[in-house]
Amino acid sequence: MRKLGAYIHIPFCEKKCNYCDFYSSPCSEGVRDSYIEALCKHIELEAPLYKDYEFDTVYIGGGTPSILTPNSFEKLGKTIKKHLNLTQGAEFTIEINPGTLTLEKLIAYKSQGVNRLSIGLQSTNDQMLVSLGRIHTLKDFEESYFLARECGFDNVSLDLMYGLPNQTLNDLIETLEEAISYQPEHISAYCLKVEENTPFGKIEASLNLPDEDFEYLMYETIVEKLRENGYSQYEISNFSRAGRRSQHNLKYWLSQEYIGFGPSAHSFFCGERYSYKPSLSEYVESLSKDMLPVKQLEENFEHSLDKMDEYVMLRFRLNDGVNTSEFYKEFGKEFAKEYPQIEQFVRSGHVNFDGEKYFFSTKGFFVSNYILTQILKF
Amino acid sequence: MNEKQKYIRNFSIIAHIDHGKSTLADRILEYSNAVSKREMEEQLLDNMDLERERGITIKARAVRINYKHKDGQDYVLNLIDTPGHVDFNYEVSRSLNACEGALLVVDSTQGIEAQTLANAYLAVDCDLEIVPVINKIDLPSANVERVRGEIEDVIGIVAEDCPAVSAKVGLNIDQVLDAIVEKIPCPKGDADAPLKCLIFDSHYNSYLGVVVYVRVMDGTLKAGDRIRLMSTGAKYDVVEVGHLSAFGLEKSDSISAGEVGYITASIKTVSETRVGDTVTNDENPTSEPLKGFKEALPMVFSGIYPADGARYNDLRDALDKLKLNDAALSFEPETSIALGFGFRCGFLGLLHMEIIQERLEREFNLDLITTAPSVIYKIEKTNGEVIYVDNPSNYPSPDTISVAYEPTVKASIITPTEYVGGIMDLCQDRRGIFKDMKYLDSQRVELHYIMPLNEIVYDFFDALKSRSKGYASLDYELAGYEPSNLVKLDFLLNGEIVDALTFIVHSDKAYARARRIAEKLKDNISRQLFEIPIQAAIGSKVIARETVRALRKDVLAKCYGGDITRKKKLLEKQKEGKKKMRRLGSVEVTPEAFMAVLKLDDSDK
Repeated sequence: MRKLGAYIHIPFCEKKCNYCDFYSSPCSEGVRDSYIEALCKHIELEAPLYKDYEFDTVYIGGGTPSILTPNSFEKLGKTIKKHLNLTQGAEFTIEINPGTLTLEKLIAYKSQGVNRLSIGLQSTNDQMLVSLGRIHTLKDFEESYFLARECGFDNVSLDLMYGLPNQTLNDLIETLEEAISYQPEHISAYCLKVEENTPFGKIEASLNLPDEDFEYLMYETIVEKLRENGYSQYEISNFSRAGRRSQHNLKYWLSQEYIGFGPSAHSFFCGERYSYKPSLSEYVESLSKDMLPVKQLEENFEHSLDKMDEYVMLRFRLNDGVNTSEFYKEFGKEFAKEYPQIEQFVRSGHVNFDGEKYFFSTKGFFVSNYILTQILKF
Repeated sequence: MNEKQKYIRNFSIIAHIDHGKSTLADRILEYSNAVSKREMEEQLLDNMDLERERGITIKARAVRINYKHKDGQDYVLNLIDTPGHVDFNYEVSRSLNACEGALLVVDSTQGIEAQTLANAYLAVDCDLEIVPVINKIDLPSANVERVRGEIEDVIGIVAEDCPAVSAKVGLNIDQVLDAIVEKIPCPKGDADAPLKCLIFDSHYNSYLGVVVYVRVMDGTLKAGDRIRLMSTGAKYDVVEVGHLSAFGLEKSDSISAGEVGYITASIKTVSETRVGDTVTNDENPTSEPLKGFKEALPMVFSGIYPADGARYNDLRDALDKLKLNDAALSFEPETSIALGFGFRCGFLGLLHMEIIQERLEREFNLDLITTAPSVIYKIEKTNGEVIYVDNPSNYPSPDTISVAYEPTVKASIITPTEYVGGIMDLCQDRRGIFKDMKYLDSQRVELHYIMPLNEIVYDFFDALKSRSKGYASLDYELAGYEPSNLVKLDFLLNGEIVDALTFIVHSDKAYARARRIAEKLKDNISRQLFEIPIQAAIGSKVIARETVRALRKDVLAKCYGGDITRKKKLLEKQKEGKKKMRRLGSVEVTPEAFMAVLKLDDSDK
């Protein structure tokens, strides 16, 4: 049977973080309940489309999915299990914000088959957490983390951020060492990107952000430190212990199919990329009338990437890069002939070639957009 | 002189920019019913969009007005419009030569400005009767009496009873028309003598070919006549003659001495019909051409390149089209290693250059990269040869130069007294040699300097305006070549000379300019995967150095929830930007970076 991933978006949080431009906002419990209602309806209505598929990953992201009450979550979990064919041992992840987690919630997760937690730690420095607009302290994190471990969650990922205002290299190393000391199975480390229309975006000039040379130094430090401690990098920003890669996120880079549910959620199905409009009210209203929300097909650009370019772009996010024989199998063409520009980056040390696959070096990863615009054909 | 000539008046309107010349022209047309108000487009005489927007008249036009004077007679008034800027001085002088009188418009809130004077002197040189018109008297800050006094004291013409008007609201326009009839003499000339016409303008029309605007000095001209242009000897058969109404060409049987009109004769380009040339009858020619003909010579040169190299042919077609109507524009193909294929263009002056660039961008929808404006240097080489260099890249190597000369201008600046200090500093800094200073009245001063043209072509006018809050005005005329200590300054990116950035500079200023431009390059070149050294050099001697550091970060770290589209969009946008880049050896530079570097700002002084 063909495999699918499910991404379920929970567009709520207690308070919007200063850097966040994802579709999410604080709102009342009543709104949340009607949303879960709509979400379940959505899954139910659409499920027949996927009757010939098996879901081997489920990812509940946000927002702050852990803001849901145990009851709400159980309702959602039951709907998922009832209508989507989950494979035996499917990876089932939920994102957790420290400070919102309770024992009751953990029990609810467990009962619905959640087997992977992704916890947004971001930093172990309380001052840094305040400046990011996070609602939790390091102590809150520790309580959540150890509680989860006690409940038997044995696949936990921590999210970290770097390139923060006023952050020094020592600050970063401290956060890394502490994070490693908790022995999580997986670590994601994202560089802060100041987006317009966020509180940070409005005061960017006064933020005392590190320059790009310093950001790169931080990135290099992260890659090395994590490798020394048994976390191998498999994607630009993702690191894991052996066998603990995020199966769901890998689908994105391996051009595998996934179905999104909820406003602003993205899907890739039957060769088409589409998303739902980021509007909670329209989403809820449409489903309250038993109507599926409107799918927005990916825009067609004048110089849009074709399948091959897209493949290359996505694969190069991974440490495994582009495997030339897989590429040949997929397209019947030789990678080096299709993308001759790659050679100059092999020479400059931004791309490695081991005789079988081309893959970005650490410094190559950090300028991957630049390299892609040079090598892609679009 | 025949009876008809007695009732003809040929006149121009001259003024400083923005003093209301075009508005007055409109009111005159309107008042004399040449154009009814309803039919009138604002400022009819300026029929190029750009002219209307910038409030300047680029090319001369003429119009015939029928006016019934209070003496009961019908008069024909021919208004010959003149370009209002120093770059077009020669064209102005030809237009004036076609007239017997000129209205000198002076803004009652501003008084006499540099171009008022320059134009008034031109009119005096042409023996015209000058009729002052004081304009904008509807404005609260109008000071008619002060301006009257200024006209009498500074220009030395009687202004006691001159019309004081508001062209904008149409006040006292009748007095202007009366003054034209009463003060300006009727044209002389003999309708039976051999033909002698002055070409004061021409313009290309896709149906008629070139329409030549002429003032008939002597003789009579009709369709079918064979004419000869005296400067070139070229001969044509006249297809049509006529007069110029406010709505266009009005065909007639003949035009004769004293009249202003047009000729069509299947002429293909305006370059064949040079302003100032004399038209005569080939079978019965006049013995002497009219005096004062000269070819309009470009003074300022600049390389013009399409930002998108693929549009080279579009640029050539656009220049060809502009050239049809602009004999003063010159261009020839040029190749730059940095910018690819483009054209070396010659202009009468800075305004002319700006207008051409703007028309290329606006009317032909072209994105351009233009190199720094240059003047023509005269070089005496050690082997005795004398060469003229209009492209800095062709500047010979120093050891072959015996003496280098640069063109200078006589600059006249009129400014309120409080800005004199700042302006003198500016002129000093631009290597100006102070000549004299004259008080026009207690508040205004006229300064005279001899200045290198090369110092004016960059941004002198902007600097002058910024140091005088916009009040100072400038006029200049060529004053010959002077020996000068010039050097050629090259810029190198990653060790390779970027020819488009090379320029000639006085050696005293080379270091400061080199440092400044190197810094600007550094700020405007985006980081690439390797470090880029920037060097400024005179010959092999590097005098300034900067480095663009290597690109370290260009990554979308997070790609959330499978939002691949966002990543694709980002890459596509980046790729679009990259397509516009110019590759200089191993370095990529945006067209904007070029422009930013070439544009010297206030801190460059």
